[in-house]
Amino acid sequence: MIEVDEENLIRCHVCEAVNIDRGPNKKCRRCGSILYRGQKYTTHKSWAYLITAMIAYIPANLYPMLVTQQFGAATSSTILGGVVTLWEHGSYPIALVIFFASIVIPILKFLILIYLLVSVKYPLGRDKRVNKYKLYYLTEIIGPWSMIDVFVVAILAALIHLANIHIIAGTAATAFSLSVFFTLLAAHAFDERLIEGER
Amino acid sequence: MKLENEDALDDYIICRRCHTLHKEIAIKERAKACCTRCGNVLYRYDSQLTEHGLALSISGLILFILANSFPLVKIEILGHEQFITIPKTIWSLFTNDFYFVGFICAFLIFIFPMMIFLINSLLFALLRSKKGENITKEMLVILSHIMPWSMSDIFLVSILVALVKLVGYAQINMGVSFWALIGFVLLDLYMTRTLHTYEIWMLRKRVFTQEDRDDRS
Ligand SMILES: [Zn+2]
Ligand SMILES: [Zn+2]
Repeated sequence: MIEVDEENLIRCHVCEAVNIDRGPNKKCRRCGSILYRGQKYTTHKSWAYLITAMIAYIPANLYPMLVTQQFGAATSSTILGGVVTLWEHGSYPIALVIFFASIVIPILKFLILIYLLVSVKYPLGRDKRVNKYKLYYLTEIIGPWSMIDVFVVAILAALIHLANIHIIAGTAATAFSLSVFFTLLAAHAFDERLIEGER
Repeated sequence: MKLENEDALDDYIICRRCHTLHKEIAIKERAKACCTRCGNVLYRYDSQLTEHGLALSISGLILFILANSFPLVKIEILGHEQFITIPKTIWSLFTNDFYFVGFICAFLIFIFPMMIFLINSLLFALLRSKKGENITKEMLVILSHIMPWSMSDIFLVSILVALVKLVGYAQINMGVSFWALIGFVLLDLYMTRTLHTYEIWMLRKRVFTQEDRDDRS
């Protein structure tokens, strides 16, 4: 018989097995993954990825996402420019989809991750009322949807290349994918175990 | 809380959405157990999980091959006909020097979705024949690492968005692969919703502990 405190039970993020928390660097009893990365750099790594993602997000918005070459003349549009054009043409649903995927979701994800990373180190007064696990879960679910615009550009670029009309991806496509990639890494590097006392 | 030994922790489950601790209870065939705090589905019970898993994985693999072999969409623009396939979409990024985007897309919409269904097929085949205690463990670990990075569903929505943008400029025809991709995405969603990591690990435990007992007797 062993006696354990319920507070000391943690979930393996790989295989979901319930484990007893025995301090830093212990392996999961079922799948062998490292359970609790209790060292100092845990949040540092996540911060590094997050800051890279936020830096990449700036050129993603300043450079063109899509370049249309029509009879020799090139017109280019940024992410926000593309949304505005769609809105003006009356494609409201598509404009909203792109707006949410490329602007709202990335920024929301940055804010949630910043909040989580700050609050695990410096608990704020009202913290108790927020279920941080749910917030984290939300970023995991909505995060990947920000790839929509990159996929759309890739599809259009592959589809439209005629003698006189070409569509090519712009520099922003690379910057934006980098940003999404690093945000996902930041979220994965963030140790859920850092959120404590919420059960 | 008192436990017989550490393995008894297998009777417990922590909700992946809100992190509430629950004790596993026996439920009826095809029923599901939900979290009392947030309503998230914790696990289901399916006595034929191996057969269902294997059938779903192999169908998924076939649909994936179909979705990649034929045109997704054909358009007619200014008298020219153009079409795309999934590999062609990725390839055109490389030929336009967008290596990083090409690389990312190759993994998100081709390599990872394919790996998930390949590994699942092998995994259920091994569990069915009660072989490979260690390799099935490694497979489950790899699966849980790559699952969040598979984005076929998002790619499907992107195709629709791209087509809506082209309405009015081009004549659009859906190709065979488009329907195969829809089937693949639906199957993928169904599998992630019904076959939880937790259940497959428990299935693996049942398969191999039974094996041990058979050996000893
Ligand atoms: Zn584990
Ligand atoms: Zn819950």
